[in-house]
Amino acid sequence: MSIGLTTAAYVVAAILFILALGGLSNQEKAKRAIWYGIIGMTLAVVATVASPGVTNQPVIIAMIVIGGALGWLVAKKVQMTQMPELVAGFHSLVGLAAVFIGINAHLEMERALAAVADGTTGELAGFAATIAKKSSVELGILKVELFLGILIGAITFTGSIIAYGKLAGKISSNALTLPGRHMLNLAAFAACFILGFLYLQGAGLWTMILVAIIAGLIGVHLIMAIGGADMPVVVSMLNSYSGWAAAAIGFTLGNDLLIVTGALVGASGAILSYIMCKGMNRSFASVILGGWGGDAGGPQQEVEGEMVPTNVDTVVQQLEDADSVIFVPGYGLAVAQAQGAVSELTKRLRDKGKEVRFAIHPVAGRLPGHMNVLLAEAKVPYDFVLEMEEINDDFPSTDFVMILGANDIVNPSAQDDPNSPIAGMPVLEVWKAKNVVISKRGQGRGYSGVENPLFFKDNSRMLYGDAKDSLDAILKQLS
Amino acid sequence: MGMKVGVPKETAAGERRVALTPETAGRIQKLGYDLQIESGAGDAANFSDDVYREAGVEVLPDAAAIWSGSDIVMKVQQPSMAEAAMVKEGSSLISFIWPAQNEDLVATLKDRKPHAVLAMDQVPRISRAQKLDALSSMANIAGYRAVVEAANNFGRFFTGQVTAAGKVPPAKVLVIGAGVAGLAAIGAARSMGAIVRSFDIRPEVAEQIESMGAEFLFLDFEDSDGGGTEGGYAKPSSPEFRAKQLELFEAQAPDIDIVITTALIPGRPAPELWTEKMVRAMKPGSVVVDLAAEQGGNCALTVKGERIVTDNDVVVVGYTDMASRMAAQSSQLYGTNLRHLLDDLTPEKDGQPNVNMEDVVIRGCTVVKDGEITFPPPPVSTSVAPKAVAPKKVEETAEEKAAREAAELKKAGSRTTMLLVVGAALLLALGTVAPASFMQHFIVFVLSCFVGFYVIWNVAHSLHTPLMAITNAVSSIIIVGALLQISSPNTTVMVLAALSVLMASINIFGGFLVTRRMLAMFQKS
Repeated sequence: MSIGLTTAAYVVAAILFILALGGLSNQEKAKRAIWYGIIGMTLAVVATVASPGVTNQPVIIAMIVIGGALGWLVAKKVQMTQMPELVAGFHSLVGLAAVFIGINAHLEMERALAAVADGTTGELAGFAATIAKKSSVELGILKVELFLGILIGAITFTGSIIAYGKLAGKISSNALTLPGRHMLNLAAFAACFILGFLYLQGAGLWTMILVAIIAGLIGVHLIMAIGGADMPVVVSMLNSYSGWAAAAIGFTLGNDLLIVTGALVGASGAILSYIMCKGMNRSFASVILGGWGGDAGGPQQEVEGEMVPTNVDTVVQQLEDADSVIFVPGYGLAVAQAQGAVSELTKRLRDKGKEVRFAIHPVAGRLPGHMNVLLAEAKVPYDFVLEMEEINDDFPSTDFVMILGANDIVNPSAQDDPNSPIAGMPVLEVWKAKNVVISKRGQGRGYSGVENPLFFKDNSRMLYGDAKDSLDAILKQLS
Repeated sequence: MGMKVGVPKETAAGERRVALTPETAGRIQKLGYDLQIESGAGDAANFSDDVYREAGVEVLPDAAAIWSGSDIVMKVQQPSMAEAAMVKEGSSLISFIWPAQNEDLVATLKDRKPHAVLAMDQVPRISRAQKLDALSSMANIAGYRAVVEAANNFGRFFTGQVTAAGKVPPAKVLVIGAGVAGLAAIGAARSMGAIVRSFDIRPEVAEQIESMGAEFLFLDFEDSDGGGTEGGYAKPSSPEFRAKQLELFEAQAPDIDIVITTALIPGRPAPELWTEKMVRAMKPGSVVVDLAAEQGGNCALTVKGERIVTDNDVVVVGYTDMASRMAAQSSQLYGTNLRHLLDDLTPEKDGQPNVNMEDVVIRGCTVVKDGEITFPPPPVSTSVAPKAVAPKKVEETAEEKAAREAAELKKAGSRTTMLLVVGAALLLALGTVAPASFMQHFIVFVLSCFVGFYVIWNVAHSLHTPLMAITNAVSSIIIVGALLQISSPNTTVMVLAALSVLMASINIFGGFLVTRRMLAMFQKS
């Protein structure tokens, strides 16, 4: 395959990737769009393998077959509730690959330079041959790109592993706060940049390996300091980083397809992080640096009243009497694995002619769109799973709202109490409904540690216990 | 073994309601109680003995059997002295009691040493207790019935019509007092096509009045909070306020066809709001329906329980049994209120009532407990909401909003300009040092970022997880880099590249497959 043909294939692949992402604008188009992505990827790989100078095909095929089989196995076996950790785990692979390719680029560069010195450039092929033609300025830029690729790649790698561990429950999801952690991060970054500067001045491979190690430590420390409910931001951020790493490698290798795709992925992750941060009314920096945005000044409003418990019989009665029902799922639903039960309940209620809908807050769950996927898995039709903006005005005309394992996203103090740490965060206005039942394990507070006045309102009742057990009990009694 | 709940036939003259309906019977049995009813108790409300039997209720021949054989007796009207004398020691009674007006009755009941006497008229007006608020459910029916009675006595249409035989103007209805009954009356009159105006001394109900489709008669008064509320009800107003109010009504009287008055102040005689002078000013054929007749009436000419016609041919209806006149409906709603009370009394659903004096609602209803009079209860505040001074959100006007939005837009616009200028400057700076080959790739990079930006904003929120999975698969495009390096004669490079290919492949296959799995799950109903 000639260079021209390869480039043409790359252009087509890039367009297909854009179409694949663009197709996600609606559920039906998306099913087709994924094929654009698959075809694009196949095209890119085949064109690269067939391009001049690429040999070692048996190794390539063996690696793709083994890797493909592993990927296929994981994708088949994974539970939908494990989606967040799977995505995080996958990101780490891209990060590590970026580090490897960066180191390779350095080795190839040395080889090419040696060949230039010997005057044997004619024997070089592929990437090394392109390097041999570069001027010294271009080589300088190449080194910067290489440094960035390794730095971002290593942070993505270890950060994703920690995120995976936290999401899978293998590492405590509490935020680890070391004393002087901001200074630690700053010092580590400074060290990386000093090493990068040394590398530009001609220091050897060791600088890059050190950068990889230090960046890896930054990744660990950065994500360890972030608590469970901020994970949507973290996972989208890592998603973004894996894209930027690919783009940096694309610059290093002078490959436009890598640049285009990396930029697409990077932008996607960045926008998702932005949406998540807006959903919590927090700045990106405050999420990544950990901790809630500090004191808003002044004491929080005291909450008066008591939490009134209810029981399954009453809830069944209320469901029977209600014409319109809205469920508000949160991370607790995923933990309790109650999506099947709630789906069954939805079906039964709809069969009785009641209007049943779901209200999804942008940051509900541990991954952007987490709740939607969970409900889709349980076969809840997506046309009555609504976003916050779509449904917030409907709460006053709703008879019954059931909150399943959510807390901060339904906290009225975000609107009422300017001194609350979550003041200004957009929330679902569930308290405007006639009756609200909160299914909750105990009396504890939400992730933000803020007391939730919703639980004390006159029209609120607490249904204590595991969400799945409660829903199963309701299903049993519902005629 | 559950306790026995008995329902005697109402003894008050003209009372057609019954405290138990076949439907509520089923629900009460679920709480673990056994039910019995006096033969013929439901006849006036069109519930025959047979229907009760079918619902599993035992039908007993007379009232004495009910009073002596029941652990809990449920009634509608307050018990007569004769009935009070039949209350069995240790049993409970649930009915209307009106303890403030009936001290003798309460004393008599106390002497019978009952376990508890619960007054349905004493349910606190808090949100949680709404489902057992019998006053509200009865008032709702009374309000509706008031319009029906008015229409019955009014010789013309409610709705305006243009017919071949001429134009008919719509009736004008004035509803005084916009409590539950008043609002129900507004709704009923509106749906019959009348023009409805309404007045209430509590200015905060204006919104509710307007939401029902009536015009709120606004009283221009300095301290317009002349009435205000107390426990959810209106309280007496000042003399100055009253004078203004009567002035307003006098102006309305000649224009209005129908007046429905519903103004009550708990524990006091009804305020006189529609004076004789106003009745005289009304057109012949007009109707006044006074729902406050029981407490003396809001209209000066009201005769309790009667329909009278004045000299100038205005009909004044003073029936006190509006709810009873719709016995099937009111029995059903009252029965449901009772059922909810039993529900609260029986948290264990074992047929054993627990008169829990810690519970605000039950405490409020209970007027006699274990031989002690427990009325009046300690005060309950209607709003348990945080008392702290929450700063009121200032509603912005349309102009302010437009101005603010324009300012925001301008700010956003100038911010974009700033960013563009800074970005362009940076690019130029970069262009002066970077070689052409780099700038070529850089253009591609910047454009791709923009494309990505616009594409991703269009992604549905519900598809964010599939988006992450697919971008994850797509980011494995890094495999291309590894493929370009794998041919190197350097073994280290080859091995590292091979490992990268392996990892990227896992990602490609895993990422795409998992995305496909997810997308396949999204179904339309």
